[in-house]
Amino acid sequence: MRCYFHLWCLVAAALNLGTLSARAVDVFRDQVEPILRQRCFECHSHAGKIKGGLTLDSPSGWQKGGESGPALVPGALDQSRLIQAVRYATPDLEMPPKAKLPASEIAILEQWVAAGAPDPRETAIMAEKKGVDIEAGRKHWAYQPVRETAPPPVRDIAWPLNEVDAFLLAKLESTGIQPGAGAEAHTWLRRVTFDLTGLPPTEAEIATFIAAPSLQAHERVVDRLLNSKAYGERWARHWLDLVGYAEQIGTEGKIFAEHAWRYRDYLLKSFNADKSFDRFIREQIAGDLLPAASPQARRENLIATGFIVLGDVDINSIDKLKMEYDFVDSQVSKVGTAFLGMTLGCVRCHDHKFDAIGQEDYYGIAGMFRSTKTTFRTNLGIWSNVYRVPLPEMPEDRAAASEHQKRLATWHQEKDKVTAELKPLEAALKDKAHTESPETKKHRAELSVQIKTLEGKIAHAEYFDPGKPQALAVADVAEPADMRLTIRGNPYALGDTMPRGLVRVAMWAPQPQIPAKQSGRLQLADWIADTRHPLTARVAVNRVWQKLFGEGLVRSVDYFGIRGENPTHPELLDYLAHRFMKEGWSQKKLIRLLALSRAYRMTSSAGENAHASESDPENRLLWHMNRQRLDAESIRDAMLAASGCLAAPAGGPGLPLEFPENVSGLPLKPKSNHPQFAIKTERPSQSYERTLYLPVVRTGTQLGSARLRDVFDFPQPAQITGKRNETTVPTQSLYLLNADLIRQRASDLAGDLLATTKDSDPSRIARLWLRVLNRPVTPAEQADALAFLKDTSPGTPAAAAWTELARALFGTNEFLLRY
Amino acid sequence: MTAPFSSLSRRAWLQRTSAGFGAMALHGLAQGAANPLAPLSPRLKARAKRVIFLYMAGGPSQMDLFDPKPLIQKNHGRSVAVPLPEKDKHVSTAKLLALGTEIPVRPRGQSGVTISDLLPQTAAIADELCLLRAVQADNNQHGPAALQFHTGVTAEARPSMGSWISYGLGTENQNLPGFLTIHPGIETRLYGSSFLPAAHQGTPVVLPAKVTDPAIDFLTDATTDGATQRRRFDFIQRMNRRLIEHDATDVRLEGMVQSLETAFRMQTAAPGLVDLSKETEATKKLYGIGGKATDKNGRACLLARRLSEAGVRFVQVTLDGWDHHGDIRGNLPKSCAAADQPCAGLIRDLQSRGLLDETLVVWSGEFGRTPWSQDLSGTSPIEKHGREHQPDSFCTWMAGGGVKAGFMHGETDEFGYRPVAGRVHLHDLHATILHLLGLDHEHLTWRNLGRDYRLTDVSGEVVREIIA
Repeated sequence: MRCYFHLWCLVAAALNLGTLSARAVDVFRDQVEPILRQRCFECHSHAGKIKGGLTLDSPSGWQKGGESGPALVPGALDQSRLIQAVRYATPDLEMPPKAKLPASEIAILEQWVAAGAPDPRETAIMAEKKGVDIEAGRKHWAYQPVRETAPPPVRDIAWPLNEVDAFLLAKLESTGIQPGAGAEAHTWLRRVTFDLTGLPPTEAEIATFIAAPSLQAHERVVDRLLNSKAYGERWARHWLDLVGYAEQIGTEGKIFAEHAWRYRDYLLKSFNADKSFDRFIREQIAGDLLPAASPQARRENLIATGFIVLGDVDINSIDKLKMEYDFVDSQVSKVGTAFLGMTLGCVRCHDHKFDAIGQEDYYGIAGMFRSTKTTFRTNLGIWSNVYRVPLPEMPEDRAAASEHQKRLATWHQEKDKVTAELKPLEAALKDKAHTESPETKKHRAELSVQIKTLEGKIAHAEYFDPGKPQALAVADVAEPADMRLTIRGNPYALGDTMPRGLVRVAMWAPQPQIPAKQSGRLQLADWIADTRHPLTARVAVNRVWQKLFGEGLVRSVDYFGIRGENPTHPELLDYLAHRFMKEGWSQKKLIRLLALSRAYRMTSSAGENAHASESDPENRLLWHMNRQRLDAESIRDAMLAASGCLAAPAGGPGLPLEFPENVSGLPLKPKSNHPQFAIKTERPSQSYERTLYLPVVRTGTQLGSARLRDVFDFPQPAQITGKRNETTVPTQSLYLLNADLIRQRASDLAGDLLATTKDSDPSRIARLWLRVLNRPVTPAEQADALAFLKDTSPGTPAAAAWTELARALFGTNEFLLRY
Repeated sequence: MTAPFSSLSRRAWLQRTSAGFGAMALHGLAQGAANPLAPLSPRLKARAKRVIFLYMAGGPSQMDLFDPKPLIQKNHGRSVAVPLPEKDKHVSTAKLLALGTEIPVRPRGQSGVTISDLLPQTAAIADELCLLRAVQADNNQHGPAALQFHTGVTAEARPSMGSWISYGLGTENQNLPGFLTIHPGIETRLYGSSFLPAAHQGTPVVLPAKVTDPAIDFLTDATTDGATQRRRFDFIQRMNRRLIEHDATDVRLEGMVQSLETAFRMQTAAPGLVDLSKETEATKKLYGIGGKATDKNGRACLLARRLSEAGVRFVQVTLDGWDHHGDIRGNLPKSCAAADQPCAGLIRDLQSRGLLDETLVVWSGEFGRTPWSQDLSGTSPIEKHGREHQPDSFCTWMAGGGVKAGFMHGETDEFGYRPVAGRVHLHDLHATILHLLGLDHEHLTWRNLGRDYRLTDVSGEVVREIIA
């Protein structure tokens, strides 16, 4: 038999060749080995694949076994997984997978194992490493501590406006690339307004700024934007992309997440208040375990943990154990991606293929979430639901509760009254001799309908009791415990117990002590939010950088591991991370620094810079600004703003569940389905609210005017992504050309322009350009637009012609792009 | 998140056939500007050029239609001793009462492929079919199971089968997307492109009830006349051209201009394509168009043929109504009546046009149904029972595009519960479909978050036994 030789193989002598009888050797060679070779080697040998980590081409292969342990126990048929597998004894372990072996072959294998599994083959022991090499893995740049770096010297000392510019310019100077010229004042204003708030600048803001774009004027703009409510609306949405947020739970049926909006409003408040990012982390991972100074603070802390549960979960699964394990997996993955730029999800089934993350690391964190209540079994069929906690009562809740009780009482009274009226009419029918007049019959039917309607209202109001505020949130379980490793993610195939703990490759101290009766989430949060953490601040500042500059300093914003991208400017990344932490983890200070840099003022055109285009076509060194397509929210919100119809921010529930007809399945009956939403009535104001406030659903197209999300790269709510796709597909063009939404906004905009009757057509055109493209119109465009109006509506341009012109502008690439 | 490497690795093994694709475009690809739908030819030998997937949403009963089980038949109404793991026990199936098949399933044609009398038209083309009788999936709920059938995984949002194929092969018709899905359900992930470029996502098509309604979303503007639309389109493109003159270095701008052109062409080309009135009466009859039960599905299947013929790589038709939890004996015949003629008509039509050889047709539900009965009321007689979901084994048929005709593959145990031979897991089915199109499922990858993703995740073996 041919043995396997490699430099990295140690060839050991046969273990027991001398003790085998010639007969046993023959039986193995003639009968057993051919079966193994023909039936198993394709997937379980060094020459084939090594599925499940198991090889059968040497005795050490089956002795060591695969991920599930030794493949066979000599002499013990029932303890030998290989025998169980070929017998097809348990559904989860059937080998070969495609078809059961003939009975004769199974018998040969059984006899062989029963006889003690004599295996005369020489043993090739793989000198494989035991587990992952943490020390070696730590050499990767992202796991090294954040360094305090200083801005490098530059030749052109006039160019940098702040430290950021010095880092960028030094690199450009070393490669001989000229940084791009400054963008025009209106371009910068549009850029910074969209980036910071997701909205365009107003006519007045443009006029003020371009009249005198001084350094101070730039600062005033940035400060104004950072202090606007719209700032939080923009950045809350960025964070929601990392949460898998939706107002629907799971994808089976249409189950509403009626409390999800509290988490969205929590984000809004946090970003607007510039909550320190380390605090923000602690609240979201372990808010329920943090002390709180007031009922209000306690409330915020609880709502923040919505981060953990507001993801996709299969609540209709029959297999509850699998559901729970899958949900834990999504939580571990989310924490890894959102805060750390690590792909921890891969490690559920095997050690990470590239990064030094072992299964003990994964299950260390998974055990914390397994020790956390995140779902509960309802008494409705097989449905589970996401865990919810009652919130500390506030004065306004008491007011709502008493209001609610009053309303209910009124309905009950009404119902009693109608019932009292109906009763004698129905009783009369029992008398066979009684003849009912057509009027009475009609009246009786009307009364029945009234009762039905009132019952519907009562059932609805009792289900959505506003006096008892709740949040989709978490709590520790009564008996927190370490988790056992699962074989290939299968919750029914368990391996060793893995103590709860943190990811070793990114640790600087020993594993923390987790107090008894606690999940360990607090220790997890403390570790992530520590200034010594090599990843947290880097990942966070890189996300902000990417939103402002189009590409991250690390372009793979969600993945900082070995296979991710290296930072283009490592010293700058560390400078920003260090400064971010030193300045109290303040995102507003960070954004202010970046938005007021010279770099952020550069033109987005590659222009005539041939040398730069040649040597750095991807703009990695940032010699011009990167263009971005407006995201779905900005496209819709900008049209609302341009038309003058944008509603004041409201917040609160996105799904209009306050209309009873939008909720099916109430009142609840025993064994009934979970109540679901079926939106028949929209809340009229929502057409004019910012897209952030519109409900997000997981299945089907997005509702109402939120439909635009489906067309412009809104991420599927099950997907966790820090950087959205920016695609160009004909569906988008069709939308821009034909969608009702665009026509309505264009019509509103035209109406608004025509409302000021003293304007001339050219001045209206100028205003239209300011509203949509946020810049002055050029003479050529002015002439083109006038001709267009005239062609569309000979004589005096009417509202319809202006609508067409506004529609056209909403369809231009210039509107869609942020320059 | 798309990494430029992915495009490069794909380019390394796919030959680009369109002209003028130079070094410049390489950079363009990385930026998403070059046309991602340009037709590509695969490296492996392709047996099929296009796929039509007839998706039987809800899970047809394999036992009643294709895989007869004498043991169940014999024990009708009696409890059967099935070694069922606890986690596989379902609602209202605890008694494990065998539920026999009322309408016989018989061998057909020369080949003896077994098909129920409930599907007479399908039975008549049995010798064209390749019937897989031991297909296996992993989840017994509609949502996750449908997701797995379409994307390979039971959770998350991954690219769908049609998206992968569009990504691998592009489209042959530049006026149309590479992936269209007729009458899709509400789950958009079943035709989503996830991290693949959005150009590969499925475009939903809904056959209009009225002639004036567009079949594709936003395809028409009913509020203005053609001349006005043209004027507006021209104005937009003049604005866009000025922008390019101002800055000729941004390749994306050109891509956006072309996309708008394509959209405008689609406005013209697509309505004609979905207009079935030009088809002959004989063809309409072949699909059951005009028939009370078959009209909707017939029109959908005929449209599928037209789109496929026009060069769309992946066309899906969803025929729903197979979720028979109750009174399966009463309800299954209705579902069969609505699907039989349209599906069989499609095969005959493709055959007579010489298209069947290069078109792979796949017929399947997301799972099958239990051999034992389900009685949700708990009180109805066995004749009124239904069947619960069963992902462990079910039947799928394929035709054309390089599969063996008149062939059966796979066997289940005597209950019809688990495969005993020729098991084809969904990953294997996906691998095989890609293989028939000339795509190697282990090499059709996209790098996302540092990992190379594929339709078959980490599994999948091509089922060579069924390839002609």
